[in-house]
Amino acid sequence: MKIKTTYIFSILFAIAMLASCYSNNCPLNNSVTCNYHFYDMEGNAIKYGDQIKVSTLKPGMKDVWVYKKLGYKTLTLDSPDSALVADGYSETKTQQRKDTVIVGQANSDKIQIPMSYYYNCDTLVFEYGSISKKDTIKINHESYPHVELPECGTYRFHSLKGISCTNAAIDHVEISNPVVNFDGAENIKIYFNGVAEQ
Amino acid sequence: MTMKELFFKHIILIAFLVQCGAAIAQTENENQEVLMPGETPKPTKYIAVEEQKQKLVFFQGFTLSVDAFGPLMSVVSDYGTIEAALRLNLKNTFLPIVELGYGKCNKTDDNTNVSFKTNAPFARIGMDINMLKNKFQDNRLYLGARVGVSKFNYEISGPEIKDPIWGGSKPFDVDNIDCTSTWGEIVFGAEVKIYKNFHMGWLVRYKSEFSSSKSKFAKPSCIPGYGYTTNSTCWGGTYSLIFDLNWGMKKSRKAGYNIEIRDINYDNNEQQNGTVNESESGTGAAEGDDNGSGGEGSEEE
Repeated sequence: MKIKTTYIFSILFAIAMLASCYSNNCPLNNSVTCNYHFYDMEGNAIKYGDQIKVSTLKPGMKDVWVYKKLGYKTLTLDSPDSALVADGYSETKTQQRKDTVIVGQANSDKIQIPMSYYYNCDTLVFEYGSISKKDTIKINHESYPHVELPECGTYRFHSLKGISCTNAAIDHVEISNPVVNFDGAENIKIYFNGVAEQ
Repeated sequence: MTMKELFFKHIILIAFLVQCGAAIAQTENENQEVLMPGETPKPTKYIAVEEQKQKLVFFQGFTLSVDAFGPLMSVVSDYGTIEAALRLNLKNTFLPIVELGYGKCNKTDDNTNVSFKTNAPFARIGMDINMLKNKFQDNRLYLGARVGVSKFNYEISGPEIKDPIWGGSKPFDVDNIDCTSTWGEIVFGAEVKIYKNFHMGWLVRYKSEFSSSKSKFAKPSCIPGYGYTTNSTCWGGTYSLIFDLNWGMKKSRKAGYNIEIRDINYDNNEQQNGTVNESESGTGAAEGDDNGSGGEGSEEE
């Protein structure tokens, strides 16, 4: 009976020790981004060597000041500059779509870009270091809140509905995985013009 | 986990240990003669024991129990249950059980202000095994298993989320998310007789979630009858008030021995000692073996 009692209390002690353990199961990688992977025209995964800057058009307009001078590059500034006027530039106040730079990187095989929470269409402008033309990618999507656990907070996941692009450097684009979450999986394939050298 | 939840968890475990200790001590005392140091058993009577050819009644009746721990938890924490169980008693060893209850959870995280609400019925089915060797006594030590299921709707809501790039912010509130969850439990517990057919007992439950239907908005952070889904497994417990419904089943049928008591002649001490020794070495040994095997056999039948 003594052995039995010891046995039972050992089990109960183990239970008590286990009950004391606690871990937080919130995801470690909690940034929700749409992942664009790069391919050549034939579908081979590539590293795009050129500098890429991605900016997005935001809703609404903003005031800008445009300065022009014969023989000089036109300057567009977010605030007035009286020094340029004194230097002979003509000043014109006008309005532009709001935009912001999201990503700037070079020599990469993918690019991670966040998506808007409350708009159904994101417009991304791709600028290249060695190409004067720009590409514009439009992504239609639906956003919805996602709660993994109440203690982890709220995330905004997205469901991709459609995508289109211009073709300055891009041949075409396609959706490979419509669910945008924090898993880090590829969502969109960007096929650039040309074929990668083997 | 908050300090409050940790405190209650440990209080429950300590109380459980105390009750287990009391149950085991009670069992030992029933079978042991109390002797002071230096005392020897007094050979005053000759006792002949014969095994009766009686079998343990297969159907021992029902027990109906209600849980007192779940309602208490609903007062002091975000999660609680009301539940009752009907248990079949087969030979005081195998105890199939059905548990039905209603669980509620209304949890708001202090840091994130995300709320989760649900309330729904649940059911569990399973079996306990009485681990005590002596099946005739009223106390029980259980080891068992359960399978549980709950179909429920839940609601999740949260504060405004601000878009850091495009701007804008909105709160969210998603309700009527449909979910069906199943889980398994390994249970361990003790039960002691308090008065006549009234028993009380603890049951500790180690639970593991089998499946839950998924929603794109959220996974259920709490399942009625299961508890919090923070980890894939969790602990739970019940403190049951148990009513033994014997329905005419007589405990006398449990008696497995016929004991005959005769007086001993005290005139000659040597003869007395010889008789005692003789009875202990001869009849006692032989019958002791019979009793041992017979008694065990009777219990196991």
